Amino acid sequence: MGNPMKIRAANKDGVTEVKALISHEMETGQRKDANGAIVPAWFITELVAKHGDKVVLAAEFGSSVSKNPYLAFKFKGGAKGEKVVVSWKDNKGDSRTDEAVIG
Amino acid sequence: MFRFSKSVIARSVAAFALISASTAGFAFDHFKGVGRQATPSEVKAWDIDVRPDFKGLPKGSGNVERGNELFEEKCASCHGSFGESNEVFTPLAGGTTKDDIKTGRVKGLSSGELPQRTTFTKVATISTVWDYIYRAMPWTAPKSLKPDDVYAILAYLLNLQEIVPGDFTLSDKNIGEVQKLLPNRNGMTTDHGMWPGAPAKKGGIGNGGIPDVKNTACMKNCKTEVQIGSTLPDYARTAHGELADQNRNFGPVRGTRTLGAEAAKPAAAANPALELATKNGCMACHGVNNKIVGPGYNEVVARYKDQPDAEGKLTAKVKAGGQGVWGSIPMPPNGHLKDEEIKTLVQWIMAGAK
Repeated sequence: MGNPMKIRAANKDGVTEVKALISHEMETGQRKDANGAIVPAWFITELVAKHGDKVVLAAEFGSSVSKNPYLAFKFKGGAKGEKVVVSWKDNKGDSRTDEAVIG
Repeated sequence: MFRFSKSVIARSVAAFALISASTAGFAFDHFKGVGRQATPSEVKAWDIDVRPDFKGLPKGSGNVERGNELFEEKCASCHGSFGESNEVFTPLAGGTTKDDIKTGRVKGLSSGELPQRTTFTKVATISTVWDYIYRAMPWTAPKSLKPDDVYAILAYLLNLQEIVPGDFTLSDKNIGEVQKLLPNRNGMTTDHGMWPGAPAKKGGIGNGGIPDVKNTACMKNCKTEVQIGSTLPDYARTAHGELADQNRNFGPVRGTRTLGAEAAKPAAAANPALELATKNGCMACHGVNNKIVGPGYNEVVARYKDQPDAEGKLTAKVKAGGQGVWGSIPMPPNGHLKDEEIKTLVQWIMAGAK
């Protein structure tokens, strides 16, 4: 299930700005631990943000994205009180969905 | 970040009061007509520090939600919406675990797992954060935040750090409870020479001025010569080009020549056994391929190579000296050589003295 994301969404002049701090290890699979064994890759592969039923952002992540990535984007539309839903899937089949109310 | 024990604070405050009472008159006697006593309100305006026991903490309160608004407005441009930004300053939040909140010591600091230190991985007293925000933030307009604003922003930061829930209201009443949840609250020690005062067990906060370093000047049984602990392997000597050109050409330290004809010479001489033999005077009497006073090493090898325990015999001879095997000229004992040095030399000789 992963740890919860922190999401903020704010509407200003008809444009909603969404900021999200995603909690994920994002292991590249290149790193070695203290014993020299490779730390297995573990990263987010897909991320989708929805406003209502409408997909406002779809992204393919890879191993080059940092640990606990920060994501910010804007979309036209959205109104105060409506919800923005962000969800991700990782290469281990784990996924997580969190939502925020537009302020 | 000063964590004084209460007794020390009480004492120092009392001492300060005494001094100011007695020196006030003194100062004016010497500088007649210069200056005046600071008024209590002037002192109050200066005296804004908040101590770990929350002395000096203004009353007030603020919740996470209000803190979020304020943070977005005044802080996020530098620190990022979640205090995560590493662009202008190091991140404020992140890097701690639930376990750290239990133990009061951030594990990532010592285990090396932490990729980046943050404010909350390091700070031991919440009063310090309150004080700092109040006196120094925002960067462009310090002291513009009201106490309630500071409580709210701090509540938001604590929520980001997952120390308090999202509906939390921080106030001067419950800040002491929050202090008990700070992830690195046990991470600070004052048992160091830089801290003033007596050792902690005698009621002070320092260690009585004992330095942290343990360097002592050698007065007896000192090492007489420099021992080289490690050197670059030959294949790596040129990894950075000509070292001599990369160092200053004045002063005591020079770069060694790593390229060109000069560099080839020391490399050829880099034979520790030969150096050992030369240094200890073996080469004065023994040649590698010829007799000088004693037998050449080639002759020694020829005589001993088929004997069992040649190494043991030669080791004994080098150590105790000998006479008669190669003629009447004696070989002096070499008791000053260490056993492993003799072993190195004998093995080197038996291997052909190359």
